[in-house]
Amino acid sequence: MATLVTDNCQRCRFTECVTACPVSAFRAGEEMLFIDPDTCVDCGACIPKCPVQAIYEDLDLPEHLNEWIEINERRSKIMPKITNKEPPYVGADDRKASLGF
Amino acid sequence: MNQTADEIQTFHGGCPHDCPDTCSMQFKVQDGKLIGVRGNPDHPITQGGLCVKLKDYEKRHYHPDRLLYPLKRTGPKGSKQFKRISWDEALDEISTKWKDIIASDGPHAIMPNSYLGNQGLVHGLNGGDAFFNRMGATVCERTFCGEGSCTAWLLTVGPTAGVDPESFCHSKYIVIWACNSVSTNLHHWRIISEAQKNGAKVVVIDSYASKTAKEADWHIAPKPGTDGALAMAMINVIISEGLQDQDYIDNYTVGYAELTERAKTRTPEWAEEITGIPAEDIRRFAREYATTPPAAIRLGVALERTYGGSQAIRAATCLPALIGAWRHVGGGALQFPVWEHPYKFDVICRPDLIPEGTPVVNNLQLGRVLTGETKLETPIKSMMVWNTNPITQAPETDKIIKGLEREDLFLVVAEHFISDTAAYADILLPAAMGAEMEDMILSWGHLYLTYNTKCIEPPGEAKPNNEIFRQLAKRMGYEEENFRWSDTECLENYVDWDSPTCEGIDLAYMREHGFARLKDFGDKDVRARHAKGEFPTPTGKCHFLVEGATNFVAGPFRQMYEGFQPGEALDSLPDYLASRETPDTNSQLAAKYPLNIISPKSHGFLNSCYANVEDKIKRQGEQFVLINELDAIARGVKEGDQVRVFNDRGAFEGVAKISEDVNSGIIVATLGYWRQLNNGTVNCISSAEFGDMGHSTTFSDNLVEVSLA
Repeated sequence: MATLVTDNCQRCRFTECVTACPVSAFRAGEEMLFIDPDTCVDCGACIPKCPVQAIYEDLDLPEHLNEWIEINERRSKIMPKITNKEPPYVGADDRKASLGF
Repeated sequence: MNQTADEIQTFHGGCPHDCPDTCSMQFKVQDGKLIGVRGNPDHPITQGGLCVKLKDYEKRHYHPDRLLYPLKRTGPKGSKQFKRISWDEALDEISTKWKDIIASDGPHAIMPNSYLGNQGLVHGLNGGDAFFNRMGATVCERTFCGEGSCTAWLLTVGPTAGVDPESFCHSKYIVIWACNSVSTNLHHWRIISEAQKNGAKVVVIDSYASKTAKEADWHIAPKPGTDGALAMAMINVIISEGLQDQDYIDNYTVGYAELTERAKTRTPEWAEEITGIPAEDIRRFAREYATTPPAAIRLGVALERTYGGSQAIRAATCLPALIGAWRHVGGGALQFPVWEHPYKFDVICRPDLIPEGTPVVNNLQLGRVLTGETKLETPIKSMMVWNTNPITQAPETDKIIKGLEREDLFLVVAEHFISDTAAYADILLPAAMGAEMEDMILSWGHLYLTYNTKCIEPPGEAKPNNEIFRQLAKRMGYEEENFRWSDTECLENYVDWDSPTCEGIDLAYMREHGFARLKDFGDKDVRARHAKGEFPTPTGKCHFLVEGATNFVAGPFRQMYEGFQPGEALDSLPDYLASRETPDTNSQLAAKYPLNIISPKSHGFLNSCYANVEDKIKRQGEQFVLINELDAIARGVKEGDQVRVFNDRGAFEGVAKISEDVNSGIIVATLGYWRQLNNGTVNCISSAEFGDMGHSTTFSDNLVEVSLA
């Protein structure tokens, strides 16, 4: 049970979210971020920070995104912590627009 | 006709829950409905984020179980059978009944019972004090949380806010002593975690591996109730190894010679025997603490919850002066900064109205009071409860229920829901919730005033607490001006707006900005409050030694009444004082009940608030009992088994979680679960005996046994 990152984050990584996390729960994957469910405290502070609505609380997760629960659990355990904002991917703004944001 | 929805409006909010963070919020309102909340991004503590409890605060306002109308009991006590009545009927019945009781038994037969279920200045802890003080009712001492700590702190350093919680960003050595910040002080944890990233070492002292302990660089786990021995041994090491700041001690403290003498025998080896922490670790801890400035201690509420808890807090509060930590920005200790907030408690509570000789009862011992076990000259015939839920929050729960079942007890409750306590009400009044009433929210965790806008109407016929008291006062014939003040006028009168700390701040400013940093506190990056002593004690110094001290409960927790303070003589120096119930101190009891229990706050609930909300229960999980593998095996308990936790006072059930987070000999079960949704609650097993100071709780000073349910 936790908050998690879903596929809208891929090739965006605006990373504003990591600055909102009080417990450093974000992990930096190559293409996207993940949240360590064992560290996350479900405060929800990161959710409105995401410009592409990639972050959900599991209780509000649309069903077609269910697989991301397990992916966050697994990937967060092997990727490094990210606690500072980084520049988004090149083309992130185009990607954001293509997602309709 | 305009078909478009109204625009979304934003209002300033303040979280009213019993938490040190007192978040500044933004309420989003559309069509007269609260549609969302978020943390105020401009507030230096809230920083735009709330917590697991508050993030969907609007849902609690619109919960289908909200009480909408006044109710009158129609079935047996506790049966939750009520019928709807009008406000006039409800208030008439209450005032008539109270007038009758006053005529037959006198006002002492009536008592109020409230706590920090709402931290508002107007609708919160002290909101009804003036009313009941005017009545001459028995005064209710309310010592659920932090009152022993207050006594210990005030004796040692006086009413100082201590180190600015924001200045922890400059600290290099941070000790979180008995506080699960990640769950209960999240916005301070964020500052500490920044300091940690910048190289500060974070030490967490807690008898089990809390979420916060797991984030620490070093988790030290003394046996429950032995923190005083750890603190005394630190004093021993600091003095015996010459790590003290002699110049600071000579100029700004009282009683160093006596403390040195007292600490002489409190060696690390002595403390190892008591705490279970290796002497070498104690030495290392003391040395690191004394030689890594700036060093800051965050004193958690939980430290007081054993018989000797407040003495432990006194010892820990001596440490910063001993090493001169106060000299540095980000050095010192943090207890409750509320001491330097400009609230006029005498105006809020009107202790001047209390008749001479008015008796006092303590709400931890409510069960004893209501069942007659505590002998009172005038037994209690009526009680009004608001902002608290004693059945889950107070100890000796079964006794409280026995008391509430009394047919001759007239119980009035103002509540949001039919809580475990509200279920026993004779008259149940629907109370307004956060966004439905104007208030300012006190903080015991930061240095800001916080404003809360009334931005939606209460549902049904719910009314703010203060409106309930205004109407009751009218019916009782109380004509003091307090009882005519609107909520806004209350705020005008309750805050000392003319004090230097409020320079440039008034109610209009608060309405516009939502929060304001108190001016006395200066810049978090510059200010070292006690660099040159200047403690607000009678001598201006930090008191290791307090001569002639007697026990007391701080005013705001007893309606500002000074009569019948506990008054017994206190040790002039800090020391380790053993718990009542541990295998080491009470082997006879431990033969029957060999395990110590700790009952911290639940991560997903705020005391019993939210423990009736489905999503929050899902998030928090069912009542669990954390147990070490050794203890589980010895009892044939397997992971996931339903277990019963019990002692002579009562029992509750939970699901066993076998874990190394807890050492053998200790179990952990978190607080807040509703009795009507569970088989008993944690406080069924808790003792109502007081701790050593401030009539503190002893929630961590209880022996129990565990068996398969």
